[in-house]
Amino acid sequence: MSSNSITVSNLTKKFSFSQKNPSSGWLKNLFSPETKEIIAVDDISFSVKNGERIAFIGPNGAGKSTTIKMLTGILFPTSGKIDILGFDPTKDRKKLAYQIGTVFGQRSQLLPNLPLTDSLEFFGVMYDMPEKEIKKRIAELIKLFDLGSFINQPVRKLSLGQRMRAEVASSLIHKPKIILLDEPTIGLDVVAKKSLRDLLLKINNEENTTIFLTSHDVGDIESLCERTIVINHGIIIKDLPTQNLAKTFIYEKYIDLIALNNFNNFPKLPEGINYSSKDKNKITVIIDINKITVQKSLKKLLDLFEVEDIDVYNADLETVIRHIYEKAL
Amino acid sequence: MKKLYKKLRLPIKILKTLIKNSIQYPNKLIVDTIVIFARCGVLLALYWHVFRLNNGIINNTTFLFASWSIFFYFAFSLLNLRSISREFMKDIQTGNVEILFSKPISYLSYRIWWQIGSGIYSFIIITILATVVTALTIGFPPTMTIGIFIPTLILTFICGAILSLFLYTIVGLLSFWVEDINPIFWIVDKTIMLLGGSYLPIALFPAFMLKIALYSPFGASQFVTHTVYKTWQTNWYQLIGIQLFWIILSGLIIYFIFKEAKKKISINGG
Repeated sequence: MSSNSITVSNLTKKFSFSQKNPSSGWLKNLFSPETKEIIAVDDISFSVKNGERIAFIGPNGAGKSTTIKMLTGILFPTSGKIDILGFDPTKDRKKLAYQIGTVFGQRSQLLPNLPLTDSLEFFGVMYDMPEKEIKKRIAELIKLFDLGSFINQPVRKLSLGQRMRAEVASSLIHKPKIILLDEPTIGLDVVAKKSLRDLLLKINNEENTTIFLTSHDVGDIESLCERTIVINHGIIIKDLPTQNLAKTFIYEKYIDLIALNNFNNFPKLPEGINYSSKDKNKITVIIDINKITVQKSLKKLLDLFEVEDIDVYNADLETVIRHIYEKAL
Repeated sequence: MKKLYKKLRLPIKILKTLIKNSIQYPNKLIVDTIVIFARCGVLLALYWHVFRLNNGIINNTTFLFASWSIFFYFAFSLLNLRSISREFMKDIQTGNVEILFSKPISYLSYRIWWQIGSGIYSFIIITILATVVTALTIGFPPTMTIGIFIPTLILTFICGAILSLFLYTIVGLLSFWVEDINPIFWIVDKTIMLLGGSYLPIALFPAFMLKIALYSPFGASQFVTHTVYKTWQTNWYQLIGIQLFWIILSGLIIYFIFKEAKKKISINGG
C-alpha cells in the first residue's frame, strides 16, 4: 500500500455564476445573464503521508475550503485527480466516507435536542458499526475526550468548547484514517483551543490518524502541524515544514530596545532599519538584513539610544504568514 | 433478511431518534394538536352548515362522506412531508449539505427518512385521537366498514406519501439552481391542497377539476381523500395505478435532477 494517504494532481475548481449587468434590460438579465467565472483552485498538486499533520492555510477566499470539499467528494473538481486512500472522491464518495472524518468548525453535525450519546450512537449506525462496537468506541471516546461530565446533556446546552470536543469525537466514531478539519478552533477560548489541539495530537499519536487542517489560527499551525501548505488565489505558494516557515522571512529581524531611563526622542533611523513600535520604555525596530547587517544595526542603534537591554529575534509565525499572504496579493 | 435489516438500520435509527426527540419536547405535539383540531374543526363546522342549507345532500354526497374525506386530508398533512422542500433549501443555503455529503449515506434517502421521522409521532398520536373524536361525533360512513377499505387505504396512503415526498423533493432540489424556492413551493403546495380536497371535498369538484385531480401528480398524491366515497370500491386499483405511474416518473425526474444538482453544489467558502 502507498505511504501517501492523499495525492492531489493538477487539481482545478472553477465556479461560474450569472451576474446582472446594470446596463442590460431586466429581460436580458433574466434569460441571458452574463456569466462570470472564478478559479477557486488553480492546478494544485501535493501529497500527504500516512499519519502526517498538515496545515492548509491561506487568507479568506484562497481556496482552502474548496480543496477540502473536493477531497471529501462534496465538490466535483473541474479538472485534475485526487486519490485518497486509493479512492477517487468523485466516484467513491460513500466508500471514502467510511475512511475519513470531517469537522466543519462553523457547522454542527450533532443532534441539538438530544444528549450527546444519541449523536454518537446515531453516527455509529450511520457508519454501519455493530452495536457492541459502537458502545465500546463511545466508551473510548468519552475517556479520550473527557466527555463524561456532559455526555448526557442535550447538545444545545453545551459550551462551544465542549461542543467542539463532541464534534471531533463524533467524527472519530468510526476510527477514520484521515480527519479533515475546517477551522476547528474558530470561536474557542484559549483553554478550549489548547485542549482540542492536545486531543488531536493524541489521536495522531495513538491512532496514527492523518490530520489535514485549515485554520486562521497560528496556534493551531504551530502546535499541531509538522508541515504547512500555503495557498492563495487557488495556487500553492509555499509547501514546507512548519518550523521552516519562519525562515522564509529570515531577511527580517526584530530588535527590542529597552530604555535605560526613558526614550525622549525618536530620531530618523539609518537605511534598512524602521520603527515597528515606539514608546518611552521600549522601541521595536525591524531590520532588513539585505540592506544592513545585524552587527551594524546594533552599533548604529546603540549610538542613537541609551539602552538597558537588547533582544534580537525573528518575526513570529503570525507575522511571517501575514507577509506571505501580503506578498502573494 | 440480514441484508434488509442492514438496509433499514439507518432509517429505523432515524425514526427512533426523531420519535425520542419528539417525546422529549412534547410542546410541539400540543401545538400541532390544537392547530389541527382548530383548522379541521372550523372547516367541518362550515361544511356541516352548508350541507344543512342544502337538505343534507350536495352532488349526491352527504356531510358524513365529505367530512371524512377532509379528515383524511388533514391526517395525511400531519406527516408534514411538504417541509422536505424547505429542508433541502435550508441545507443548501446554510451549507449543511456538506456535512451530509461527507457521510456514507445517500443524501436523498436520508432526507426522506428524516422527514418521515419528523412528523410520524404527531401523525400517530393526533390521528388516533382525532379518529376517536370524529367517529364519536359524526360516526363512520358505510364505505369505511367494508373489508377492502383498510388495506386499500393503507396502500394509497403509502403511495401518496411516497409521491408527496417525491414531488416536494423535486421542488426542494431546485434550490441547487434557484436561490429561493418559496414561490415555486407555494404554487405546488397550494395546487396539492386544492386538488387534494383540503378546501373543497373532491366529491363537490366540477367535472373538469375532478379530472385534473385524478390525472395530475398533485391530486394523485392525495388520493387518500378519495377512499371514503363509493366510487373508490370500483376504481381504487386504477387510482393506485395512477399513483404508481407518477411515483416512477417523479422518481426518474429526481434521479436526473439530483445527478446534475451534485455538480452544482457551491457552499460558502467553497
